[in-house]
Amino acid sequence: MDFAMRVNYVDVVVSDSLKHYYVDGKRMGYQFDIRLSYYRGHFLTVIDEFGITVDGTEVPTERIKFCINGKEFSPSEFDKCYTEFWQVIEPATIRVFYPGGLPEGEHKVGVKLFFRSPYMPIGPDHQYMPVDSCGSKTLTITD
Amino acid sequence: MANVKTGITLFSLGTPYLKGQLDLEGVIRTAAEMGAEGYEIVASQMIPSYPYVTDEVVEFFRKCTEKYGIAPICYSAQMDRGMLKDRDLTEDEMVARAITDIISANKLGCTVMREQYLLSPNGLGRIAPYAEAYNVHVGIEIHNPESPITPAILDYVKVIEETGSKYIGFIPDFGCFATKPNKPYWDRALAAGASVEVLERMAQLRYDEVSQEEATQILMPELQKCPALFGTLSSMYGFVQFRKSRTAELEGLKKIMPYCFEMHGKCHYVDENLHEVSIPYEEIIPVIANSDYNGYIVTEFEDEGGYDSIEQTTRHVAMVKKLLAEAK
Repeated sequence: MDFAMRVNYVDVVVSDSLKHYYVDGKRMGYQFDIRLSYYRGHFLTVIDEFGITVDGTEVPTERIKFCINGKEFSPSEFDKCYTEFWQVIEPATIRVFYPGGLPEGEHKVGVKLFFRSPYMPIGPDHQYMPVDSCGSKTLTITD
Repeated sequence: MANVKTGITLFSLGTPYLKGQLDLEGVIRTAAEMGAEGYEIVASQMIPSYPYVTDEVVEFFRKCTEKYGIAPICYSAQMDRGMLKDRDLTEDEMVARAITDIISANKLGCTVMREQYLLSPNGLGRIAPYAEAYNVHVGIEIHNPESPITPAILDYVKVIEETGSKYIGFIPDFGCFATKPNKPYWDRALAAGASVEVLERMAQLRYDEVSQEEATQILMPELQKCPALFGTLSSMYGFVQFRKSRTAELEGLKKIMPYCFEMHGKCHYVDENLHEVSIPYEEIIPVIANSDYNGYIVTEFEDEGGYDSIEQTTRHVAMVKKLLAEAK
Protein backbone atom coordinates (compact mmCIF):
# COMPACT_ATOMS: atom_id res chain seq x y z
CA MET A 1 0.00 0.00 0.00
CA ASP A 2 1.64 3.27 -1.10
CA PHE A 3 -0.40 6.23 0.02
CA ALA A 4 -3.48 5.82 2.18
CA MET A 5 -5.65 8.50 3.73
CA ARG A 6 -5.97 8.47 7.50
CA VAL A 7 -9.15 9.79 9.12
CA ASN A 8 -8.90 8.95 12.76
CA TYR A 9 -11.06 9.87 15.75
CA VAL A 10 -10.65 6.95 18.11
CA ASP A 11 -8.21 4.10 18.69
CA VAL A 12 -8.81 1.22 16.29
CA VAL A 13 -8.08 -1.38 18.98
CA VAL A 14 -10.54 -0.77 21.80
CA SER A 15 -8.99 -0.51 25.27
CA ASP A 16 -9.74 -3.19 27.86
CA SER A 17 -11.49 -5.40 25.30
CA LEU A 18 -9.20 -8.47 25.27
CA LYS A 19 -10.71 -11.55 26.85
CA HIS A 20 -11.16 -15.26 26.28
CA TYR A 21 -14.32 -16.82 24.92
CA TYR A 22 -15.70 -20.16 25.98
CA VAL A 23 -17.56 -22.93 24.15
CA ASP A 24 -19.03 -25.91 26.04
CA GLY A 25 -17.23 -24.61 29.09
CA LYS A 26 -13.88 -24.76 27.33
CA ARG A 27 -11.60 -21.85 26.60
CA MET A 28 -11.85 -21.78 22.80
CA GLY A 29 -9.91 -18.67 21.98
CA TYR A 30 -9.71 -14.96 22.57
CA GLN A 31 -11.45 -11.86 21.33
CA PHE A 32 -11.07 -8.09 21.24
CA ASP A 33 -12.93 -5.15 19.73
CA ILE A 34 -11.94 -2.80 16.94
CA ARG A 35 -13.40 0.43 15.57
CA LEU A 36 -13.38 1.62 11.99
CA SER A 37 -11.09 4.62 11.56
CA TYR A 38 -13.31 6.92 9.49
CA TYR A 39 -16.19 9.38 9.84
CA ARG A 40 -18.89 7.04 8.45
CA GLY A 41 -19.62 3.33 8.35
CA HIS A 42 -19.01 0.99 5.43
CA PHE A 43 -20.10 -2.25 3.82
CA LEU A 44 -17.57 -5.00 4.43
CA THR A 45 -16.95 -5.35 0.69
CA VAL A 46 -14.76 -2.21 0.76
CA ILE A 47 -12.11 -3.92 2.89
CA ASP A 48 -9.06 -4.62 0.72
CA GLU A 49 -6.56 -5.85 3.30
CA PHE A 50 -7.16 -7.36 6.70
CA GLY A 51 -4.91 -9.19 9.11
CA ILE A 52 -4.22 -9.65 12.79
CA THR A 53 -0.98 -10.06 14.67
CA VAL A 54 -0.67 -10.98 18.31
CA ASP A 55 2.68 -10.45 20.01
CA GLY A 56 4.22 -9.98 16.59
CA THR A 57 2.95 -13.26 15.12
CA GLU A 58 0.49 -13.25 12.24
CA VAL A 59 -2.76 -15.07 13.00
CA PRO A 60 -3.84 -17.46 10.19
CA THR A 61 -6.88 -15.97 8.48
CA GLU A 62 -9.00 -19.08 8.86
CA ARG A 63 -8.80 -18.76 12.64
CA ILE A 64 -10.36 -15.28 12.53
CA LYS A 65 -14.04 -14.38 12.79
CA PHE A 66 -15.10 -10.78 12.33
CA CYS A 67 -18.34 -10.25 14.25
CA ILE A 68 -20.88 -7.51 13.51
CA ASN A 69 -24.66 -7.35 13.26
CA GLY A 70 -24.99 -10.55 15.31
CA LYS A 71 -23.07 -12.53 12.67
CA GLU A 72 -19.58 -13.96 12.36
CA PHE A 73 -17.72 -13.49 9.08
CA SER A 74 -14.45 -14.86 7.86
CA PRO A 75 -12.15 -12.30 6.21
CA SER A 76 -12.27 -14.46 3.06
CA GLU A 77 -15.99 -13.65 2.88
CA PHE A 78 -15.68 -9.85 3.06
CA ASP A 79 -15.87 -9.45 -0.70
CA LYS A 80 -19.34 -11.04 -0.74
CA CYS A 81 -20.71 -9.04 2.21
CA TYR A 82 -22.19 -6.18 0.22
CA THR A 83 -25.24 -5.97 2.46
CA GLU A 84 -23.35 -6.12 5.76
CA PHE A 85 -22.86 -2.60 7.03
CA TRP A 86 -20.31 -1.85 9.75
CA GLN A 87 -21.55 1.15 11.73
CA VAL A 88 -18.85 3.68 12.46
CA ILE A 89 -19.63 3.90 16.19
CA GLU A 90 -20.13 0.16 16.67
CA PRO A 91 -17.05 -1.89 17.47
CA ALA A 92 -16.55 -5.17 15.60
CA THR A 93 -15.51 -8.09 17.76
CA ILE A 94 -12.54 -10.06 16.43
CA ARG A 95 -12.59 -13.67 17.59
CA VAL A 96 -9.52 -15.85 17.18
CA PHE A 97 -9.78 -19.63 17.47
CA TYR A 98 -7.00 -20.53 19.90
CA PRO A 99 -7.97 -23.42 22.18
CA GLY A 100 -6.48 -23.08 25.62
CA GLY A 101 -6.22 -19.35 25.26
CA LEU A 102 -3.46 -16.80 25.70
CA PRO A 103 -1.12 -16.72 28.68
CA GLU A 104 -2.14 -14.30 31.41
CA GLY A 105 -0.81 -10.77 31.18
CA GLU A 106 -0.14 -8.27 28.43
CA HIS A 107 -0.36 -8.93 24.70
CA LYS A 108 0.31 -6.66 21.80
CA VAL A 109 -2.56 -6.78 19.34
CA GLY A 110 -2.02 -5.44 15.82
CA VAL A 111 -4.68 -4.87 13.18
CA LYS A 112 -3.98 -4.32 9.51
CA LEU A 113 -7.03 -2.89 7.79
CA PHE A 114 -7.06 -0.95 4.54
CA PHE A 115 -10.29 -0.14 2.75
CA ARG A 116 -11.46 1.81 -0.31
CA SER A 117 -13.54 4.90 0.17
CA PRO A 118 -16.11 3.81 -2.43
CA TYR A 119 -17.47 7.25 -3.32
CA MET A 120 -14.02 8.82 -3.83
CA PRO A 121 -12.67 7.70 -7.22
CA ILE A 122 -9.03 8.60 -7.82
CA GLY A 123 -8.75 7.25 -11.34
CA PRO A 124 -10.39 5.04 -13.95
CA ASP A 125 -10.93 1.27 -13.64
CA HIS A 126 -12.22 0.94 -10.11
CA GLN A 127 -9.56 3.00 -8.36
CA TYR A 128 -10.76 4.54 -5.12
CA MET A 129 -9.08 6.42 -2.29
CA PRO A 130 -7.33 3.92 0.00
CA VAL A 131 -7.91 4.53 3.69
CA ASP A 132 -5.70 3.31 6.52
CA SER A 133 -7.68 1.91 9.45
CA CYS A 134 -4.76 0.04 11.04
CA GLY A 135 -4.05 0.11 14.74
CA SER A 136 -2.27 -1.62 17.55
CA LYS A 137 -2.36 -1.65 21.31
CA THR A 138 -1.03 -3.61 24.22
CA LEU A 139 -3.93 -5.13 26.11
CA THR A 140 -4.12 -7.21 29.25
CA ILE A 141 -6.22 -10.33 28.98
CA THR A 142 -8.87 -10.04 31.66
CA ASP A 143 -10.64 -13.36 31.62
CA MET B 1 -38.83 36.94 -2.05
CA ALA B 2 -36.63 34.32 -0.46
CA ASN B 3 -37.69 32.38 2.57
CA VAL B 4 -34.45 31.07 4.07
CA LYS B 5 -34.17 28.93 7.17
CA THR B 6 -30.97 27.92 8.89
CA GLY B 7 -30.15 24.31 9.58
CA ILE B 8 -27.18 22.22 10.59
CA THR B 9 -25.90 18.99 9.18
CA LEU B 10 -25.22 16.72 12.13
CA PHE B 11 -21.98 15.88 10.29
CA SER B 12 -20.69 19.17 11.75
CA LEU B 13 -20.77 17.46 15.15
CA GLY B 14 -19.01 14.39 13.87
CA THR B 15 -16.03 14.62 16.21
CA PRO B 16 -17.92 14.54 19.52
CA TYR B 17 -20.24 11.87 18.08
CA LEU B 18 -17.43 9.58 16.91
CA LYS B 19 -15.51 10.04 20.14
CA GLY B 20 -18.58 9.06 22.13
CA GLN B 21 -18.93 12.47 23.83
CA LEU B 22 -22.37 12.94 22.27
CA ASP B 23 -24.76 10.18 21.25
CA LEU B 24 -27.24 10.63 18.43
CA GLU B 25 -29.80 12.23 20.71
CA GLY B 26 -27.10 14.49 22.16
CA VAL B 27 -26.10 15.58 18.66
CA ILE B 28 -29.71 16.49 17.81
CA ARG B 29 -30.12 18.33 21.13
CA THR B 30 -26.92 20.27 20.53
CA ALA B 31 -28.03 21.24 17.02
CA ALA B 32 -31.26 22.61 18.49
CA GLU B 33 -29.32 24.54 21.14
CA MET B 34 -27.22 26.15 18.41
CA GLY B 35 -30.28 27.64 16.78
CA ALA B 36 -30.89 25.19 13.93
CA GLU B 37 -34.44 25.12 12.63
CA GLY B 38 -33.89 21.68 11.12
CA TYR B 39 -31.08 19.27 10.44
CA GLU B 40 -29.48 17.15 7.78
CA ILE B 41 -28.19 13.70 8.60
CA VAL B 42 -25.39 11.84 6.83
CA ALA B 43 -27.13 8.50 6.72
CA SER B 44 -24.06 6.27 6.63
CA GLN B 45 -22.69 8.08 9.67
CA MET B 46 -25.67 8.21 12.00
CA ILE B 47 -28.64 6.09 10.91
CA PRO B 48 -28.47 3.03 13.19
CA SER B 49 -30.24 0.77 10.66
CA TYR B 50 -28.52 2.13 7.54
CA PRO B 51 -29.22 1.85 4.64
CA TYR B 52 -32.74 1.22 5.85
CA VAL B 53 -34.84 3.07 8.36
CA THR B 54 -36.63 0.73 10.74
CA ASP B 55 -39.81 1.55 12.64
CA GLU B 56 -37.75 1.77 15.85
CA VAL B 57 -35.48 4.36 14.24
CA VAL B 58 -38.51 6.34 13.03
CA GLU B 59 -39.86 6.28 16.57
CA PHE B 60 -36.51 7.46 17.97
CA PHE B 61 -36.42 10.46 15.63
CA ARG B 62 -40.10 11.25 16.30
CA LYS B 63 -39.39 11.40 20.01
CA CYS B 64 -36.34 13.63 19.46
CA THR B 65 -38.43 15.99 17.33
CA GLU B 66 -40.99 16.16 20.13
CA LYS B 67 -38.31 16.87 22.77
CA TYR B 68 -36.05 19.30 20.92
CA GLY B 69 -38.41 20.90 18.42
CA ILE B 70 -36.29 20.25 15.31
CA ALA B 71 -36.77 17.55 12.69
CA PRO B 72 -34.61 15.94 10.00
CA ILE B 73 -35.05 17.88 6.77
CA CYS B 74 -32.43 16.31 4.52
CA TYR B 75 -31.23 12.74 4.15
CA SER B 76 -27.65 12.86 2.99
CA ALA B 77 -27.02 9.82 0.81
CA GLN B 78 -23.76 8.62 -0.61
CA MET B 79 -23.19 6.93 -3.93
CA ASP B 80 -20.77 4.12 -3.12
CA ARG B 81 -20.03 3.26 -6.73
CA GLY B 82 -16.87 1.39 -5.72
CA MET B 83 -18.43 -0.72 -2.97
CA LEU B 84 -17.95 -4.04 -4.79
CA LYS B 85 -14.55 -5.66 -4.73
CA ASP B 86 -13.85 -6.08 -8.40
CA ARG B 87 -15.95 -3.63 -10.40
CA ASP B 88 -17.97 -0.42 -10.26
CA LEU B 89 -21.71 -0.57 -9.68
CA THR B 90 -23.69 -0.39 -12.92
CA GLU B 91 -26.14 2.44 -13.47
CA ASP B 92 -29.00 0.01 -12.72
CA GLU B 93 -27.40 -0.82 -9.38
CA MET B 94 -26.78 2.84 -8.55
CA VAL B 95 -30.38 3.70 -9.41
CA ALA B 96 -31.50 0.86 -7.12
CA ARG B 97 -29.40 2.24 -4.27
CA ALA B 98 -30.71 5.75 -4.82
CA ILE B 99 -34.29 4.45 -4.70
CA THR B 100 -33.53 2.71 -1.39
CA ASP B 101 -32.23 6.04 -0.10
CA ILE B 102 -35.38 7.84 -1.27
CA ILE B 103 -37.51 5.29 0.60
CA SER B 104 -35.39 5.80 3.74
CA ALA B 105 -35.52 9.59 3.42
CA ASN B 106 -39.29 9.49 3.14
CA LYS B 107 -39.58 7.25 6.18
CA LEU B 108 -37.64 9.78 8.25
CA GLY B 109 -39.88 12.57 7.00
CA CYS B 110 -37.16 14.25 4.92
CA THR B 111 -38.42 16.05 1.82
CA VAL B 112 -34.89 16.67 0.56
CA MET B 113 -32.13 14.17 -0.18
CA ARG B 114 -28.51 14.91 -1.01
CA GLU B 115 -27.15 12.69 -3.78
CA GLN B 116 -23.57 12.57 -5.04
CA TYR B 117 -22.28 13.12 -8.54
CA LEU B 118 -21.35 9.47 -9.13
CA LEU B 119 -25.01 9.03 -10.00
CA SER B 120 -24.95 10.13 -13.64
CA PRO B 121 -27.31 12.73 -15.10
CA ASN B 122 -29.19 9.89 -16.78
CA GLY B 123 -29.40 8.06 -13.45
CA LEU B 124 -30.80 11.19 -11.83
CA GLY B 125 -33.43 11.41 -14.54
CA ARG B 126 -34.38 7.78 -13.93
CA ILE B 127 -35.11 8.31 -10.24
CA ALA B 128 -37.37 11.34 -10.79
CA PRO B 129 -40.64 9.32 -10.73
CA TYR B 130 -39.63 7.75 -7.39
CA ALA B 131 -38.61 11.11 -5.97
CA GLU B 132 -42.02 12.50 -6.91
CA ALA B 133 -43.95 9.51 -5.59
CA TYR B 134 -42.16 9.65 -2.23
CA ASN B 135 -42.12 13.47 -2.08
CA VAL B 136 -38.34 13.58 -1.72
CA HIS B 137 -36.48 16.28 -3.69
CA VAL B 138 -33.18 14.77 -4.76
CA GLY B 139 -30.38 17.28 -5.19
CA ILE B 140 -26.95 16.50 -6.62
CA GLU B 141 -24.38 18.17 -4.43
CA ILE B 142 -22.30 20.76 -6.29
CA HIS B 143 -18.98 20.46 -4.53
CA ASN B 144 -15.71 22.22 -5.24
CA PRO B 145 -14.02 21.76 -7.79
CA GLU B 146 -17.39 21.63 -9.58
CA SER B 147 -19.49 24.77 -9.60
CA PRO B 148 -22.80 25.92 -11.12
CA ILE B 149 -20.99 26.67 -14.39
CA THR B 150 -18.82 23.58 -14.88
CA PRO B 151 -19.72 21.20 -17.74
CA ALA B 152 -20.46 18.24 -15.43
CA ILE B 153 -23.11 20.30 -13.61
CA LEU B 154 -24.57 21.69 -16.84
CA ASP B 155 -25.14 18.07 -17.96
CA TYR B 156 -27.45 17.65 -14.96
CA VAL B 157 -29.22 20.93 -15.81
CA LYS B 158 -30.00 19.48 -19.22
CA VAL B 159 -31.64 16.40 -17.71
CA ILE B 160 -33.54 18.44 -15.12
CA GLU B 161 -34.94 20.67 -17.84
CA GLU B 162 -35.70 17.78 -20.20
CA THR B 163 -37.63 15.81 -17.60
CA GLY B 164 -39.36 18.92 -16.28
CA SER B 165 -39.43 17.26 -12.88
CA LYS B 166 -39.57 19.53 -9.84
CA TYR B 167 -38.08 16.70 -7.76
CA ILE B 168 -34.59 16.49 -9.18
CA GLY B 169 -32.10 19.33 -8.85
CA PHE B 170 -29.14 20.52 -6.84
CA ILE B 171 -27.65 21.18 -3.45
CA PRO B 172 -24.86 23.72 -3.98
CA ASP B 173 -22.04 23.63 -1.46
CA PHE B 174 -20.69 27.13 -0.86
CA GLY B 175 -17.16 25.73 -0.80
CA CYS B 176 -17.35 25.96 -4.61
CA PHE B 177 -17.22 29.76 -4.32
CA ALA B 178 -13.99 29.88 -2.31
CA THR B 179 -11.78 32.89 -3.02
CA LYS B 180 -8.95 32.21 -0.57
CA PRO B 181 -6.75 29.25 0.38
CA ASN B 182 -8.23 26.80 2.83
CA LYS B 183 -7.09 27.70 6.34
CA PRO B 184 -6.81 24.21 7.91
CA TYR B 185 -4.60 22.99 5.03
CA TRP B 186 -2.56 26.20 5.21
CA ASP B 187 -2.05 25.84 8.95
CA ARG B 188 -1.18 22.17 8.58
CA ALA B 189 1.54 23.07 6.07
CA LEU B 190 2.91 25.70 8.47
CA ALA B 191 2.95 23.14 11.27
CA ALA B 192 4.86 20.77 8.98
CA GLY B 193 7.58 23.39 8.54
CA ALA B 194 6.49 25.30 5.43
CA SER B 195 7.10 29.03 5.36
CA VAL B 196 4.41 31.66 4.82
CA GLU B 197 6.43 33.00 1.92
CA VAL B 198 6.35 29.67 0.05
CA LEU B 199 2.64 29.18 0.77
CA GLU B 200 1.90 32.65 -0.56
CA ARG B 201 3.87 31.92 -3.71
CA MET B 202 1.92 28.70 -4.12
CA ALA B 203 -1.41 30.48 -3.66
CA GLN B 204 -0.37 33.14 -6.17
CA LEU B 205 0.40 30.45 -8.76
CA ARG B 206 -3.10 29.10 -8.19
CA TYR B 207 -4.62 32.58 -8.51
CA ASP B 208 -2.68 33.05 -11.74
CA GLU B 209 -4.22 29.80 -13.05
CA VAL B 210 -0.82 28.21 -13.54
CA SER B 211 -1.34 24.48 -14.13
CA GLN B 212 -0.65 22.04 -11.30
CA GLU B 213 2.18 20.43 -13.30
CA GLU B 214 3.84 23.78 -13.91
CA ALA B 215 3.37 24.92 -10.32
CA THR B 216 4.94 21.66 -9.17
CA GLN B 217 7.97 22.31 -11.37
CA ILE B 218 8.33 25.90 -10.21
CA LEU B 219 8.09 24.98 -6.54
CA MET B 220 10.07 21.73 -6.76
CA PRO B 221 12.99 22.86 -4.54
CA GLU B 222 10.57 23.92 -1.78
CA LEU B 223 8.42 20.80 -2.22
CA GLN B 224 11.48 18.63 -1.79
CA LYS B 225 12.50 20.49 1.34
CA CYS B 226 9.00 20.14 2.85
CA PRO B 227 7.12 17.17 1.31
CA ALA B 228 3.92 18.11 3.21
CA LEU B 229 3.59 20.89 0.63
CA PHE B 230 2.77 18.31 -2.04
CA GLY B 231 -0.52 17.72 -0.21
CA THR B 232 -1.15 21.44 0.14
CA LEU B 233 -0.56 21.95 -3.57
CA SER B 234 -2.81 19.10 -4.63
CA SER B 235 -5.57 20.38 -2.32
CA MET B 236 -5.35 23.81 -4.00
CA TYR B 237 -6.00 22.04 -7.30
CA GLY B 238 -8.48 19.55 -5.81
CA PHE B 239 -11.46 19.87 -3.45
CA VAL B 240 -10.53 23.27 -1.98
CA GLN B 241 -9.75 25.29 -5.09
CA PHE B 242 -10.04 29.06 -5.00
CA ARG B 243 -10.16 31.88 -7.49
CA LYS B 244 -9.82 35.66 -7.24
CA SER B 245 -13.32 36.28 -8.48
CA ARG B 246 -16.43 34.13 -8.23
CA THR B 247 -18.72 36.48 -10.14
CA ALA B 248 -19.23 33.98 -12.96
CA GLU B 249 -20.01 31.14 -10.53
CA LEU B 250 -22.47 33.30 -8.60
CA GLU B 251 -24.18 34.29 -11.85
CA GLY B 252 -24.41 30.58 -12.56
CA LEU B 253 -25.96 30.03 -9.14
CA LYS B 254 -28.68 32.58 -9.95
CA LYS B 255 -29.55 30.59 -13.07
CA ILE B 256 -29.93 27.25 -11.30
CA MET B 257 -31.59 28.68 -8.19
CA PRO B 258 -35.04 27.38 -9.23
CA TYR B 259 -33.57 23.85 -9.12
CA CYS B 260 -31.96 24.18 -5.69
CA PHE B 261 -33.55 22.33 -2.78
CA GLU B 262 -31.02 23.15 -0.10
CA MET B 263 -27.70 24.96 0.31
CA HIS B 264 -24.65 23.57 2.06
CA GLY B 265 -23.16 26.35 4.10
CA LYS B 266 -19.66 24.95 4.05
CA CYS B 267 -17.36 26.26 6.72
CA HIS B 268 -13.74 25.53 7.48
CA TYR B 269 -13.05 28.38 9.84
CA VAL B 270 -15.26 31.25 10.98
CA ASP B 271 -13.36 33.86 12.99
CA GLU B 272 -14.62 35.64 16.10
CA ASN B 273 -15.97 38.50 13.94
CA LEU B 274 -18.25 35.99 12.18
CA HIS B 275 -16.28 35.93 8.95
CA GLU B 276 -15.50 32.74 7.01
CA VAL B 277 -11.90 33.22 6.03
CA SER B 278 -11.88 31.53 2.61
CA ILE B 279 -15.48 31.53 1.38
CA PRO B 280 -17.04 34.94 0.56
CA TYR B 281 -20.34 34.65 2.41
CA GLU B 282 -20.75 38.42 2.19
CA GLU B 283 -21.17 37.93 -1.58
CA ILE B 284 -23.06 34.63 -1.54
CA ILE B 285 -25.82 35.31 0.96
CA PRO B 286 -27.23 38.38 -0.88
CA VAL B 287 -27.60 36.21 -4.01
CA ILE B 288 -29.73 33.75 -2.04
CA ALA B 289 -31.64 36.44 -0.15
CA ASN B 290 -32.54 38.25 -3.37
CA SER B 291 -33.84 35.13 -5.10
CA ASP B 292 -37.10 33.23 -4.69
CA TYR B 293 -35.30 30.47 -2.81
CA ASN B 294 -37.47 28.73 -0.25
CA GLY B 295 -35.41 26.35 1.85
CA TYR B 296 -32.54 25.84 4.22
CA ILE B 297 -28.98 26.93 4.37
CA VAL B 298 -27.46 24.02 6.23
CA THR B 299 -24.24 24.63 8.11
CA GLU B 300 -21.60 22.08 7.21
CA PHE B 301 -18.53 22.51 9.36
CA GLU B 302 -15.83 20.48 7.66
CA ASP B 303 -14.17 19.58 10.93
CA GLU B 304 -10.57 19.79 9.83
CA GLY B 305 -7.83 21.70 11.53
CA GLY B 306 -8.73 20.78 15.08
CA TYR B 307 -11.09 23.67 15.81
CA ASP B 308 -13.90 23.21 18.30
CA SER B 309 -16.81 21.90 16.24
CA ILE B 310 -19.52 23.30 18.50
CA GLU B 311 -17.97 26.78 18.54
CA GLN B 312 -17.41 26.79 14.79
CA THR B 313 -20.90 25.55 13.98
CA THR B 314 -22.47 28.06 16.36
CA ARG B 315 -20.48 30.92 14.79
CA HIS B 316 -21.43 29.81 11.31
CA VAL B 317 -25.16 29.71 12.05
CA ALA B 318 -24.88 33.16 13.66
CA MET B 319 -22.96 34.48 10.64
CA VAL B 320 -25.57 33.22 8.18
CA LYS B 321 -28.40 34.70 10.24
CA LYS B 322 -26.57 38.03 10.49
CA LEU B 323 -25.89 38.21 6.77
CA LEU B 324 -29.47 37.22 5.93
CA ALA B 325 -30.78 40.00 8.19
CA GLU B 326 -28.41 42.53 6.56
CA ALA B 327 -29.49 41.47 3.07
CA LYS B 328 -33.15 42.22 3.78
